Amino acid sequence: MTTTRSVEATIRFPYKRSLGPVMGAFMTALTEQRFLGIRSGERVLCPPREWDPDTAADLSADDLVEVGPAGTVESWTWVSSPSAAHPLDHPFAFALIRLDGADTALLHAVDVASPDALSTGMRVAPRWKAERVGHITDVEAFVPGEVPQGGGGAGAEEPVTMMDYDAAITYTTPVTRNEMRAEAANAEGRFLGLECPACARVYLGGRGFCPIDALELGPEHEVELSQRGTITNYTIIEPVQYPGQTETEPFARVHVLLDGSDVILGYQPVVEFPVGDVRIGARVAAVWNDTKVASGGGIELDGWIPTGEPDDTDPNLVNRIC
Amino acid sequence: MATHPPDDIAIIGWHVSPMIRRTELTEAQMLLEVVNGATAHAGITNADVDFTCAGSCDYVAGQAFSFVQNIDAFGAWPPKRDSHVEMDGAWALYEAWVRLLVGDLDVALVTGSGRSSTADPDIVYPMEMDPYYLAPLGVDAMSFAALQARVLLDGGVVTERQMAEIAARCRRDARANPHAQVAGDFDVDALLAEDYVREPLRRHDLPPITDGACAVVIARADKARELCENPVWIRGLSHCAEIHYAGLRDLRQAESITRAAKAAGVGDAPVEVAELQTAFTHEEPLVAAALGLGADVVVNPSGGPLAANPIMATGLVRIAEAARQIRDEGRHRTLAHSTSGPCLQQNLVCVLEGE
Repeated sequence: MTTTRSVEATIRFPYKRSLGPVMGAFMTALTEQRFLGIRSGERVLCPPREWDPDTAADLSADDLVEVGPAGTVESWTWVSSPSAAHPLDHPFAFALIRLDGADTALLHAVDVASPDALSTGMRVAPRWKAERVGHITDVEAFVPGEVPQGGGGAGAEEPVTMMDYDAAITYTTPVTRNEMRAEAANAEGRFLGLECPACARVYLGGRGFCPIDALELGPEHEVELSQRGTITNYTIIEPVQYPGQTETEPFARVHVLLDGSDVILGYQPVVEFPVGDVRIGARVAAVWNDTKVASGGGIELDGWIPTGEPDDTDPNLVNRIC
Repeated sequence: MATHPPDDIAIIGWHVSPMIRRTELTEAQMLLEVVNGATAHAGITNADVDFTCAGSCDYVAGQAFSFVQNIDAFGAWPPKRDSHVEMDGAWALYEAWVRLLVGDLDVALVTGSGRSSTADPDIVYPMEMDPYYLAPLGVDAMSFAALQARVLLDGGVVTERQMAEIAARCRRDARANPHAQVAGDFDVDALLAEDYVREPLRRHDLPPITDGACAVVIARADKARELCENPVWIRGLSHCAEIHYAGLRDLRQAESITRAAKAAGVGDAPVEVAELQTAFTHEEPLVAAALGLGADVVVNPSGGPLAANPIMATGLVRIAEAARQIRDEGRHRTLAHSTSGPCLQQNLVCVLEGE
């Protein structure tokens, strides 16, 4: 097999964060089109922190003071192709901005047409969003000049105590050659195993190594696995309705130890096996269906059906966990 | 042969993986190669390892508790004492060093691994920033670096030409490094003629995006002597952090580097070679000055992170390269530096010596 495949998945991180007294006051002030800094020794920090960065002493919300709204650019960089996570969807600058009255710099966006309009020491003022919720992006961006832009409307009626942060990352993960061969075997109604040359343990085919001996395993270590096995553990699930849940009656998921191997297939469905009869030690066999083969698909595993053989009575079966 | 107190700890083996833009291997498979390579280099087997400590990042891997699967690469049966840091492998080495100082274990295996090709680093990086003021703005590593670069340019600490010269030197030195991803001869004027990527940073000021891993084996003095003819002694190891929010710091300084260097004893004797985790060209003069390095110190003969930048392993590779300078290049005293966080927020300094 010379080509590899990858799978893409997007993970969302919809966080809700509590803000505490200092950052909560800062965010509340943003809704009122104001910036707050905090006194820390001889300095005024903006954005405000809850502790003195030098001494770690507590800083109190009583020490918050208004700063800005205009300020001076202390450093800047031009973002010519913004990412999906950036605050503006056209080229812009990130800048360190020391707001008037503050001794430290706020990092935010500056919206100008080109980097030619930017310089260290330039004066900028905020362009407020029309609707502000108490979030760092209530400032859409800073713009050149002394006069705040945009905004309007009233501030928050209640102090802001929480903020949303909804991020997403798209991951592209390669499917390893071992996994592809194991999938191909499944599509033919077979289970592929890998036998470690050092310890002779047999693993399910997708894994590319023996975790006991830290040895790489490949096609030369492949073995055919049995279609029969023994239930080592099980659970009965009372379905709770949620999006995507199609089960309505209690159903079983079982762990199956394949004969002649150390392979346990976890969380497997059962076929023609009443929930009340499912038990550790029961002998089962794989049931495949070929309904998708006519349309070019592969054979699929339906689940595991009792064979009628006598149970395996080994009391240690339940201790086989992987 | 010098005698070493039993609490002295030495590096006895290491292995660096190929450094490439996009691997087809899983992170555990990447680790498998460097773990077996490092134990073979140390002349031991997995059975000799008493403690393992890995550095990796779930946001990079795209999976919660991704390090649990990576343990498969350690051959961890019978079960081993294990730990993990959500940091560069250099900090995993720090934890392993502290663990061996307890005295009841002799040999530790340390790894760093990252597959940055799995997602867009510009999207992943902001997730690790201050969640109130920075992450919602999507501030990425390049932008932070560019903001610090301009402060250094405005302050006369470095020029754009010096930055291009650093890039050209690193890429030239990287030609001799089989693990380098970016290497070759480049003309400084030609580099300076290129467009900015994040003004004032051009392509050559930035590290490549790299998939890679590294493993290092360390041992207490008596065991190191027993296993190894030429251990590389960890003479000093320390790390120090400053405040996360870059706007609250003086970006012309790197106080945490200076403190870590002092604690690690950098100034106690001359250093011949320094492997620095300077992933952006402008960071090199700042870090070198903060460490107190003289002009005669050879910096990043491997090409450094500008030649290969396997996030979560870049710092541990610096330690392996600094050890290699002693074992293979005849140096006596070398230094490795690792960094974490925006604009050099947290810094680790490791001083190594031969016999």
